[in-house]
Amino acid sequence: MKILEVRDLVKSFGGLRAVDHLSLALDQGQILGLIGPNGAGKSTAFNCIAGVYPPTTGEIYFYEEKTNNQKPWDLCKKGLARTFQIVKPFASKSVLYNVMVGSFATTDKRSEAREKAVEILESLHLADKKETRAGNLTIADRKRLEIARALATEPKLLLLDEVMAGLRPTEVDEMVTIIRNLREKGITIFVIEHIMRAIMALSDWVVVIHYGKKISEGTPEEVASDEKVIKAYLGEDYAVS
Amino acid sequence: MTKEKLQKISTGLLLVVIFGLPLVLRSPTYLHILILLYLYAYLTTSWNLVGGFAGVLPLGHAAFFGIGAYTSTVLYLQYGISPWLGMVLGGIIASIVGLIIGLPTFKMRGAYFALATIAFGEGMRVMVENIDYLGPFNLNGPRGLQIPPLNVGLTNLMFTNKEPYYYIILIMLIGVLAVTYFVSRSKLGFYLNAGGEEPEAAMSLGVNVARCKLVAMAISTFLTALAGAFYAQLTLFIHPKSVISLDLSFEIAFIALIGGRGSIAGPVLGALLLRPVSDFSRIYFGATLPGLHLIIFGTVLILVMIYQPRGLQEPLTRAYHGILNRLAPVSVKEE
Repeated sequence: MKILEVRDLVKSFGGLRAVDHLSLALDQGQILGLIGPNGAGKSTAFNCIAGVYPPTTGEIYFYEEKTNNQKPWDLCKKGLARTFQIVKPFASKSVLYNVMVGSFATTDKRSEAREKAVEILESLHLADKKETRAGNLTIADRKRLEIARALATEPKLLLLDEVMAGLRPTEVDEMVTIIRNLREKGITIFVIEHIMRAIMALSDWVVVIHYGKKISEGTPEEVASDEKVIKAYLGEDYAVS
Repeated sequence: MTKEKLQKISTGLLLVVIFGLPLVLRSPTYLHILILLYLYAYLTTSWNLVGGFAGVLPLGHAAFFGIGAYTSTVLYLQYGISPWLGMVLGGIIASIVGLIIGLPTFKMRGAYFALATIAFGEGMRVMVENIDYLGPFNLNGPRGLQIPPLNVGLTNLMFTNKEPYYYIILIMLIGVLAVTYFVSRSKLGFYLNAGGEEPEAAMSLGVNVARCKLVAMAISTFLTALAGAFYAQLTLFIHPKSVISLDLSFEIAFIALIGGRGSIAGPVLGALLLRPVSDFSRIYFGATLPGLHLIIFGTVLILVMIYQPRGLQEPLTRAYHGILNRLAPVSVKEE
């Protein structure tokens, strides 16, 4: 079943067409990778899907329901959660507080929200930092907190916007394991990433965009050997001989 | 003795002292100063629901104070309706006006929101100053309204001595602190804080930020109007400059910022520290240096913002917990 379908999505800001006739689809339980050079329109596409901006033209379907003009908070309640490329923790509050804001999406009771937040923090190995102020976390922990908060809303589809940028190689490996575990739990994942090693290891299907247009798609291996992708994004070093 | 026990004892002692104070302190002047102190603590706590938790800086709350004062006074003078009922009606009207004002202004950020609320507050004052009759209601323009102290008693919220006022505002203060406590621990409190700090992140987590702010605004303006009605009954004379003044809006913000906005103790501590300054500077320098208290407030605010940006409540609560820990034999919970 298609959990998310984007048809002919266009998003213009004045004269700039950030996303240009992009179409893609995600099946239940899949991990889809979206890659492309800086400024290709990846985050803009995410923002349209998550309800931050309405698309200029085109349609977005979440569970076969058209969600073009729905607001982020409504989409969240329907099971769509996202993280931000530039992390946005509630910096003056504790880690636990941050995650509880997410878990209040599914309950009105403080005790239940707290219980669920603790559970999620434990699963992401953040439980020992639950009383730390979010502003004092390292970048790796902040990225993890972004995921924890999003997970607390009990999403069916999770949009991850560069959760590995700025991490050390060992931390990237940990993050890959975390994302795989999420898929095991049945969460469908749509990920934007620049770290090719991670994208190759994670994705079932990869979409490449350049200047807002889709230039290629396929399995990670197919995409990595595509002439156009090598030219626009990867560089000659990645050419698979 | 454990820390929790000590905390309970110190709170109990504090309650005994503040409830027993009028028995010792017989001077009406000092009681009046204390009543105003509690009134400002109450107003700032109400303001804090929007200005503290929701992370915006409303500077027009005097308008809602005025709505409360004028509603109860007009209803009492013209129709003989008990000020208690007028108080609640004033609260409801203030809530509705608050929602109408909040709807467009919450779309603005930072200084623009503050400016819009100043404009609203000042507009309200100028309007009342120029209206003698609002429909059938006599507002009496800039001359204000005087309540003749005839039917003294609890039903008319009118007393010849200060003690009843003292207890009424004290109970109101405790009530509004309780409301704040429950809101801060509830979903609404979490959502307000989140929306105030990182609105985009909050929205993505299912928070309808604008709606939460409106709910907070409705509660805050309702509570503010109750204090307005109380004030009218305390002074028995209101006019636009006394109940809808910009000074009042500013003083509330000063108290909150210096005490610590977004915290429960902040507004009370702020009032405790700043009200005496303002009263005594008025008593001793009122003739020679009017407005001295505002200069002092400004200076204190600058210092606090530099050295304690989260307000004076932070070092003070830390000191309080330090003393409790000192007194209680170490009973750190191992986790």
